Amino acid sequence: MAGGMDLGTGGKSNRKPLDATINLVPFIDLMAVTISFLIMTAVWTQIGRLQVSNSGGPTDPNQQEEKEKTVPLTLFITDKQLQLTVGTTSDAPIPIVRDAKGRLELTKFEARIKEVRAQLPDQSAITLQPEDAVKYEDLVRIIDDSIGLGLPNVSVAAAMG
Amino acid sequence: MAIQVPGKRFGKRLEKSKVFGHGGISKRPMFADLLITPMVDMFVIIVLFLIANFSATGEVLMMTKDIQLPEAVNVREVEMVPVVMISKDQVLVSGTVIGRVEDLARDDYLNIPSLEEKLREMKKQYEDLHSLAKDDASGFKGDVNIQGDKDIPYKIMKRVMFSCATAGYNNINFAVTTTGSLKPLEEKAANSVGQ
Repeated sequence: MAGGMDLGTGGKSNRKPLDATINLVPFIDLMAVTISFLIMTAVWTQIGRLQVSNSGGPTDPNQQEEKEKTVPLTLFITDKQLQLTVGTTSDAPIPIVRDAKGRLELTKFEARIKEVRAQLPDQSAITLQPEDAVKYEDLVRIIDDSIGLGLPNVSVAAAMG
Repeated sequence: MAIQVPGKRFGKRLEKSKVFGHGGISKRPMFADLLITPMVDMFVIIVLFLIANFSATGEVLMMTKDIQLPEAVNVREVEMVPVVMISKDQVLVSGTVIGRVEDLARDDYLNIPSLEEKLREMKKQYEDLHSLAKDDASGFKGDVNIQGDKDIPYKIMKRVMFSCATAGYNNINFAVTTTGSLKPLEEKAANSVGQ
């Protein structure tokens, strides 16, 4: 009955039928080829990069003016504690706490950085000075956190032996 | 003898077979219709999912089971630059073994001479290639990706970073596994300040 619709098949007139059939075979072929191609070229692991600079590298002369509005921010990292130095003032050491998965808990560090950012909104640089025994994963976690807190210019120094 | 329709004729033993005997016990039709509509729907969903996850950059870093990358959120997109791989056992550049991590951890020097040499060689190759092609726009920028295992100590990383900087690769990038989306960093920073 075609839903009560006039299919145009009755009568003597030579009107074309209203129902058109779409040929699905090439469509399915195209889909199959596209799916195969996309599965073969798919990248299942999302990889990114964290840009850091070596402390003591060349400085941009245009940044000299910016530096006047900021202070040197240094974070000493050992396997037991973190110590932030803002300008010439050293904060109390923050003991390292880990969660159940062994990841660093950086709540206190984050709160302190937010305080510094509130006082110095133009501050965008931080220098990390990790100890030799610090795990790379912990260093990356701190770099990631610093960038997330609005300090994109992260330098890593090798001061502590 | 009765005239029969041309075609395969099976013996009496198979006359009542459901498969070979025509008009056997079962009257169910032999042909099953394939439902095209749900199949096309499924294909469309798969294609859309794969296109949404498609990465035009491709696989820049070679992933191996020896290197477990650390996780990070505030990341940029990886670029095609030389890669220094640091596994739990050895340090490699472009598939060439530079040294064993155990030996490097024992030394007290800050640089790794063989790594420096290899990177200088790669830098020279890059510069020669671009000077031959008279391609001044994409000059040497000193970018290098460090693909390090998450458990290696900073002592090894420090030596690798120092060697990279000495060889002229000052823009160091740590390769990480992303747990968030690859949003522009400026946008993320603005969000964090807003909070």
